[in-house]
Amino acid sequence: MSHNSKKLLRVEGLVKKFGGFKALNGVNIDVCQEQIVGLAGPNGSGKTTLINVISGVYRPDGGSIEFDGGSIYKFPSHKLVHKGINRTFQVPKPLSALTVWENVRLAAVYGSSEGNPLETIRDALEFVELDNLKDSISAGLTFAQQKLLGLATALATKPKLLLVDEIAAGLSHQELNWIAETLLRIRATGVAMIVVEHHLGFIDSLTSDVVVMNAGANLFRGSIQEAAQHEEVVEVFLGR
Amino acid sequence: MLKRFFPSLTVVLVIAALFLFLPRFYNNQSFLFNMMLYLALAEGLNIIYGFTGYLPFGYVGFFGAGAYGAAIAITLLHISPFLAVIIGGFCAVLTGVILIPLLRLSGAYFAIANLAASQALYQVVANPSLEKITQGPYGIDLSAVYNANAGYYTMLGVLIFAMLLVAYMRNSDFGLSLLAIKEDQVSASLAGVNVVKARSIAWMLSAFVAGLCGAAFGWYTAVFYPSTVFSLDVSVFTIVFVLFGGIATVAGPLIGALLLYSMYNFIGISTPQYFQLFYGLLIIVLVLFLPDGIASILRKGKVYVP
Repeated sequence: MSHNSKKLLRVEGLVKKFGGFKALNGVNIDVCQEQIVGLAGPNGSGKTTLINVISGVYRPDGGSIEFDGGSIYKFPSHKLVHKGINRTFQVPKPLSALTVWENVRLAAVYGSSEGNPLETIRDALEFVELDNLKDSISAGLTFAQQKLLGLATALATKPKLLLVDEIAAGLSHQELNWIAETLLRIRATGVAMIVVEHHLGFIDSLTSDVVVMNAGANLFRGSIQEAAQHEEVVEVFLGR
Repeated sequence: MLKRFFPSLTVVLVIAALFLFLPRFYNNQSFLFNMMLYLALAEGLNIIYGFTGYLPFGYVGFFGAGAYGAAIAITLLHISPFLAVIIGGFCAVLTGVILIPLLRLSGAYFAIANLAASQALYQVVANPSLEKITQGPYGIDLSAVYNANAGYYTMLGVLIFAMLLVAYMRNSDFGLSLLAIKEDQVSASLAGVNVVKARSIAWMLSAFVAGLCGAAFGWYTAVFYPSTVFSLDVSVFTIVFVLFGGIATVAGPLIGALLLYSMYNFIGISTPQYFQLFYGLLIIVLVLFLPDGIASILRKGKVYVP
């Protein structure tokens, strides 16, 4: 029982259809407080769809989602943000006409009712080391900086659960190490995460708890090392 | 905190003072009234188009709803014209509430659906079967309550209200949230913004301003027809003024309306054929070379546009 009470997110039998295609076909995943769960799987296995459904960008077609002890099934994004769920995007979506500061300000003012917004903005920008660019228009940032801005915006809403979608894609080796370190620092402030990633080495540096998806369903849960020994996992990644 | 409102409020004060004192030196009150009318309409359109990106081609529908709402309040309910103007504003808001589902459309689809809605409202109001309420196509006669000076200063009040609304939006987090919605609704909602609620509020505020304008216009003009207050010219003029000046600022739409409406009066009334030619060319040049209006030239010169 005590173990159950620490569950922050519990997804059961989640279904998402696009026309006749079931992108998610009964997915189960749970995340404890302050836990990082890696989410891996081949292209088209439904990882990003799962993130989109949990963050309210898509509406689910079946199953259940519970967060912090209550159902959040079919909640719109802004309500999920207020409950404590936020995310980043594989291709960052900053509000490009606004400055870095304005992007984070919006999230601090509308996304969180706690604390002083000014402090929240400053903390979030310092966390990802973008404070020196705060007055830049975000369209002018590099790809990596836009990813960091996405992370800062999400942090400014004070999430309990952060869904990180392919943050490593397109980053240099050096940037990768720094991002991994930053995610671990975020976890240390009490934030749980689901980290979607192709780069298995990157996941390995964050957590030993990995969920592997295939064809819209769970295939495996365990460490990367165990996954490498798992026949079906090897098959979906490398082919028979 | 209040400091950031300073430039915007200065603009509001200058324009308000201008129209408060100009009648003493310039006796064409009707020109000044129409100028204020278009300044206020331009700011009203700016609220929905400038901040959220929805281009309402049927904006005149709110103007007509306000004019008729106020006129009916005066003729049938015998309410004082001043109060009737406010009722006219709320009639437009009611029209806006009915049209909220249109906000689910975007781009040209929204513009066309809104245009159709305004014409539908026009046909309903102009229907001879409603003669007892709207006088149908025969027009409204408010000459019993006609009062040019009261109408003029009511319009000034409406203009100040519209400018203050935009000044608030230009400098507040609410305005920032609308700009976020304009750019990307998913990113805005993940910042915690309730997109449906915020854009509906902007829509109704924009409708309210147009309704107040229509009501004040009806009172000041005293005699008007459905074809006057539902004329698409009102939408087109307002849109061109806003585009010419520059969106999402207090000053942009004011600059656009001041310059172009003055020009319309000097060229358009004496030689309308040249005016239409000139306007057509101007729209082409604007779309091609200056899509963000006069304000964008100022911004390039590092001038802050309040």
